[in-house]
Amino acid sequence: MNLPRTAGVVIVGAGIGGLGFARELAARGVKDIVVLERDYPGAGATGRNVARIRRMQLTEELCRVAMACQDKYERMGGELRSNVLFYRLGYAWILYDPSEVARMRDVVAMHARLGIRSALLSPQDTLHHLPIFEGGEPVAGSVLSDDAIVHHDAVVWAHLDHLARRGVTVHPRTRVIGIEQSDGRVTAVVTDQGRIETPVVLNAAGGWSGELNAMAGVRMPNRPHRREVLVTAPLQRSIEAAVTFYRPSEGWFNQTLRGEIVMGTVDPDEPADVNQRSSWSFLQRTATLMTRKAPALRDVTVIRQWAGMYDITPDHLPIVGPTAQLEGWWQALGWSGRGMLLAPYLTELLAEHLVTGEAPAMLSQFLPDRFPPTAEERQLETDYYSRYTPGSGSVSPGTTSPPGSPASTMTSSGNTTLRPGA
Amino acid sequence: MAARRLPFRADPAPNPPRRRVRVTFDGKAFEALDGEPLAVALLAADRPILSRSFRFHRPRGLMCSTGQCGWCECEVDGRPSVRSCQVPVRDGLVARGEHAWPSVGRDLFGWLDVGSRWVPPTFYHHRFLRPRSLRKRYLDVIRGFGGRGRLGNGRAGEGRTRVAREMDVGVLVVGGGRAGVAAAEEAAGRGERVAIVEAVAGRTRPAHPDVRVLDGAAAIGWYDGVVTAIDDETLWSIRAGSVIAATGSYERVPSVGGADRPGVMGARLALALIGEHRVLPGERPILVGETTDLAQIGPAFANAGVRAVGPVPTAALLRVLGRRRVSGAIVEVDGRRRRVAADVVVFGDRTPNLDLPLAAGAAVELRGGVLEPVLDDAGRTTVPGLSIVGSAAGRVTPRSGPAVAAPTGRTLVCFCEDVHADEIHAQVSTGYGDSELVKRRTGALTGPCQGKYCLQSFCSAMASNGARPADLPTTRPPLRPTRLGDLVTDDDA
Repeated sequence: MNLPRTAGVVIVGAGIGGLGFARELAARGVKDIVVLERDYPGAGATGRNVARIRRMQLTEELCRVAMACQDKYERMGGELRSNVLFYRLGYAWILYDPSEVARMRDVVAMHARLGIRSALLSPQDTLHHLPIFEGGEPVAGSVLSDDAIVHHDAVVWAHLDHLARRGVTVHPRTRVIGIEQSDGRVTAVVTDQGRIETPVVLNAAGGWSGELNAMAGVRMPNRPHRREVLVTAPLQRSIEAAVTFYRPSEGWFNQTLRGEIVMGTVDPDEPADVNQRSSWSFLQRTATLMTRKAPALRDVTVIRQWAGMYDITPDHLPIVGPTAQLEGWWQALGWSGRGMLLAPYLTELLAEHLVTGEAPAMLSQFLPDRFPPTAEERQLETDYYSRYTPGSGSVSPGTTSPPGSPASTMTSSGNTTLRPGA
Repeated sequence: MAARRLPFRADPAPNPPRRRVRVTFDGKAFEALDGEPLAVALLAADRPILSRSFRFHRPRGLMCSTGQCGWCECEVDGRPSVRSCQVPVRDGLVARGEHAWPSVGRDLFGWLDVGSRWVPPTFYHHRFLRPRSLRKRYLDVIRGFGGRGRLGNGRAGEGRTRVAREMDVGVLVVGGGRAGVAAAEEAAGRGERVAIVEAVAGRTRPAHPDVRVLDGAAAIGWYDGVVTAIDDETLWSIRAGSVIAATGSYERVPSVGGADRPGVMGARLALALIGEHRVLPGERPILVGETTDLAQIGPAFANAGVRAVGPVPTAALLRVLGRRRVSGAIVEVDGRRRRVAADVVVFGDRTPNLDLPLAAGAAVELRGGVLEPVLDDAGRTTVPGLSIVGSAAGRVTPRSGPAVAAPTGRTLVCFCEDVHADEIHAQVSTGYGDSELVKRRTGALTGPCQGKYCLQSFCSAMASNGARPADLPTTRPPLRPTRLGDLVTDDDA
């Protein structure tokens, strides 16, 4: 598959954000869409999650968005003519602290107002519904809803097959190595397979989006953090909800349709880094915590572990939209662990934004420029770039490259190609 | 056919003589010898079907006896999916076949296999959307077909924790077989601090006094250069100046139709059955392959009064016959196809155990259809500090033989997930032929053996479609299935 020389829109990243955006643009009649993927489609967080599609959130604002997101998933199979295995497994927050129970009363009332079916369960009812917790650390209660799971790979394939029918090409194993810009506008994407001229680029590179933004000289506050998961050998159906607990330690597990149990715990000290390597400490930590909460899990067999990334923003809400920092540079990133849930719907809004030129109201809380850099940061960045663009007054702010690395080179056309630091 | 017990020889007689005990499998009691592996006891009691495959409920039996293939998984004393070749029998043990109805021996779902051609992998991703009102019901039914074992109560491992310990050595040898011990002694002779990790307790007794053996410790991971291992008391993380993988080899199941039938077994298992356990696996064996193991197995059968057919070259075996167990084989002799009656097929071919090198990211390549590590003259892999000795280095199958053909048609590539070769080829032809996508879309390599018995044929099948060997799917830890309860540490998480 040869890269085209020009494109109307270049989408970097064939995860749920990039594929979702491609689908929505194609549905709006946009031509010449090119999707680039450094690895294989779904190689990042999209292929490394457990695809819980839950409306039950803690704030009303997020609940409303999540409701639209779940509706979108419920329709997705029919729309894309491919079963994404949307299944109302149920979803539960397990509470261990009595003070949390009191707080959840208000949350459940809010859910009821919005039409989300959730209930606050007593400890006895929790064990009745989820006997897996019998004999474990005493629970103080739980909040249970009828939320759903999908199959993340099925979602990727449904999009790939749909895009293929629509004539949108996804280019796997194609790495972006530079972004060209001129007069504050993005002009081309340089890859290891060739160069594509384009007026519009979407950064949907997930854990690698910071790297890509650095190439474009765009500064965003999202940072990737590793999250790890383990999978067990398949068991007969025995856990009737996807469960999560936050305090005192954060962890979660659920059973897939095939019967495997997937589970994970969070290391609160996980540093910000592009890191998808599995760790030994995760296995020990997860085994110790999970068997304390649910002793029956002692007998399950771990057959594999993997790691993915949460691309986390300061307010734990994604960054979706254009930025004033560089014209033509669009973003769908910083999903903060909710990409699978939010991306299909929010990229629909984003496509609407790109095509009509106006941001739909629902998108406003996710727009990128809600994190203005401090004056000090801006100055540091300006100083940094002035070393490479002598005499230029219009420099792009922002990069994460360390000073001293050859961050930019002049191309023959006079445009600046930025490369990530070595 | 029937497997039967052979008399124990006077020399060496088991000491003390083995007691007869009563064991229950699928509700039926039978006699076994105290301490012998459950899977062997079941074979001796003429119960060759131990499990059913995940997708099409194909019958599976004892094949390797190393605890790696998973074909012998049963529920044992309430614990799900236990590899019964690793369970010593004791009086009153209760086992049960899984993933079958009414029993693994007679499983009505076995008929699914007849229709396997019309049930491609992940077929449900394109079906069951209409009518809309039934979507959840469809998935409920699919969910009912999933799963294997029953979740137990966790009592067996109650209160048991392990201590997490670190160790620093100059040289770490993983695997205490002949090659591993030789490498360890050589390093100790140079004055290195040496440790051997060996999963089978009591197997390794190095002559050199300074070689430390972590006896009964199974290596389960490579995490950024740290090798981790687990034994009865300890979760080890071991840092070493250099790591030597002496992990031996896996049985390489012949790439022909029917090769997963109960009665097809590795030569090492057949030797152990006759020599150690005194169980004759069948009356009409056929031997397949070219390795040295096979040279011993013919006389072993002869001593038991049974004449074996062969050995025939691996390439001459065209098909294994039989529905519930082996009933024969089709072989090609002098250019003519012959049907040979047989009740057990013993194969000698093996493939290097590359679990540790692959987890470390070492380069491997297909040579004549065999997946082998890329090594320099000193046996070093492409990963600094990691070298390979013994049969893990890839000197398992004689090079003189013809190249191992890539699997085609309805030959199984992945046994855990029942993925056929033509399904791999079909997936590649969709245009999404990246091995990572093929793995996900077909399910190949994702089952409980995690590629131990199928990575090679998967790669062969992919290579025959023009995929690059560099596109090998990622190997993920742990290197062997591990109970969650066995990973519990006593320090507070």
